Amino acid sequence: MNSKTNKIILFVLSVVCFGMIAVTTLKDGWLTPFRTAVGYVLMPVQSGVNRVGRALYDNIQNYEKLNTALEDNKILQEKIEQLSMENTRLEGDQIELVRLRKLYDMNQNYGQFHMTGARIIAKDSGNWFHVFRIDKGTSDGIKPDMNVMADGGLVGIVTDVGANYATVRAVIDDVSRVSAMAMDSGDTCIVSGDLELNKSGKLKLGSMNADADIKEGEKIVTSNISSKFLPGILIGYAKDISLDPSRLTKSGSLVPVVDFGNLQEVLVITELKSEMTENSGNHTASAGDATQP
Amino acid sequence: MRRDLVNLAFLIAAFAIQNCLFPFIPFLSAAPNLILILVFSYGFIYGQRSGMFYGFIAGLLMDLFYSGAFGFFTLIFVWIGFLNGRLSHYYYENLITLPLFLCMINELVYNLYIYIFRFFIRGKMNILFYFKSIILPEIIITLLFTLLFYRFFLWYNRKLEVLDTKHAVN
Repeated sequence: MNSKTNKIILFVLSVVCFGMIAVTTLKDGWLTPFRTAVGYVLMPVQSGVNRVGRALYDNIQNYEKLNTALEDNKILQEKIEQLSMENTRLEGDQIELVRLRKLYDMNQNYGQFHMTGARIIAKDSGNWFHVFRIDKGTSDGIKPDMNVMADGGLVGIVTDVGANYATVRAVIDDVSRVSAMAMDSGDTCIVSGDLELNKSGKLKLGSMNADADIKEGEKIVTSNISSKFLPGILIGYAKDISLDPSRLTKSGSLVPVVDFGNLQEVLVITELKSEMTENSGNHTASAGDATQP
Repeated sequence: MRRDLVNLAFLIAAFAIQNCLFPFIPFLSAAPNLILILVFSYGFIYGQRSGMFYGFIAGLLMDLFYSGAFGFFTLIFVWIGFLNGRLSHYYYENLITLPLFLCMINELVYNLYIYIFRFFIRGKMNILFYFKSIILPEIIITLLFTLLFYRFFLWYNRKLEVLDTKHAVN
């Protein structure tokens, strides 16, 4: 009897899940209030664990360093402890300073865009997906489809936003596709994430015309004709370009400028491509023409 | 009752640790799937109903974390809770081999589920690559964690049981 009710529960839950999958595949929007509500509860937990974890990890490293110092000289133990504690703290500050300076520099380079900095607090732990969560949301002016950058290059795009968090899909995620172009020749191409290439730190570069003149090492930037990505953001450098078997298109790989392994802070561009094209339609149109091959 | 609350807290903590801590440890190339360990252990220890309940909560957490089709993870976690619950007749406290074996099977099913419905469906056919570079490392590290975690899990479970019965007597 009991196992029968269990089966009924399982059946009902499964049907509910299928229904949800079907509905949300078509339209995701109506879940936002629910996500936001849960976000209010989960975000403090997540950022707390994240912070504690980092502190712990730093301390463990500290401790290991100290242990070896102790063996060398027990008398100087306290002195060493104090100094190295102080030192690692300052080192941490220094590293952060360099990182933030770099971010700031980039902000200067891409000065025409308004940006806001954010900290990454959660990532997918499995290696299937490359999505992460940042600690800013609608209350900081973040909206879906905003572009995310770091290290002077494109990191990804905001896919969904709660009041105090936002989810970002990195360009190295397997479903990511960015309409791009070569900076010098202006040839258009598609940069897509690929798990297999990602193993060697690369992305896929495809859909180039057979007569496209993209050279090895040429800068690849987001294209003017992309509907979601702002134009002219550096993605990476072209590599291993060859003619496809069909002889109609060329493809290759792309080495990204962003080091996705060590991302901790990112900059979110608080301007949307869709708004930009509305406001300055003439400008982008002419720029688009100029880059046609 | 108290046990449920503690278990729920554990689930949320595991979720937070899995997503906010493991990915930021530089030398860890694969992270253990703590949520999966918890769901299948709850199912295995407490039975089908609890398995489904905790699976449902775990799935919701995962679905809320990823944008996209909502219910994708809830579905697999509910099923994992249910199926492992069926095996709870074979649950003996001192036996670790069966949980380890179950862990392996669950990991395999879970990852294949993701592969088939998120990758294979889009024409990514090279299953050997995905198996070697993603599925296998995760299975190994999750097994390792089950080995460590399961003992602790049994221990605190016994504690809670004592607490709950004491509470009932008083």
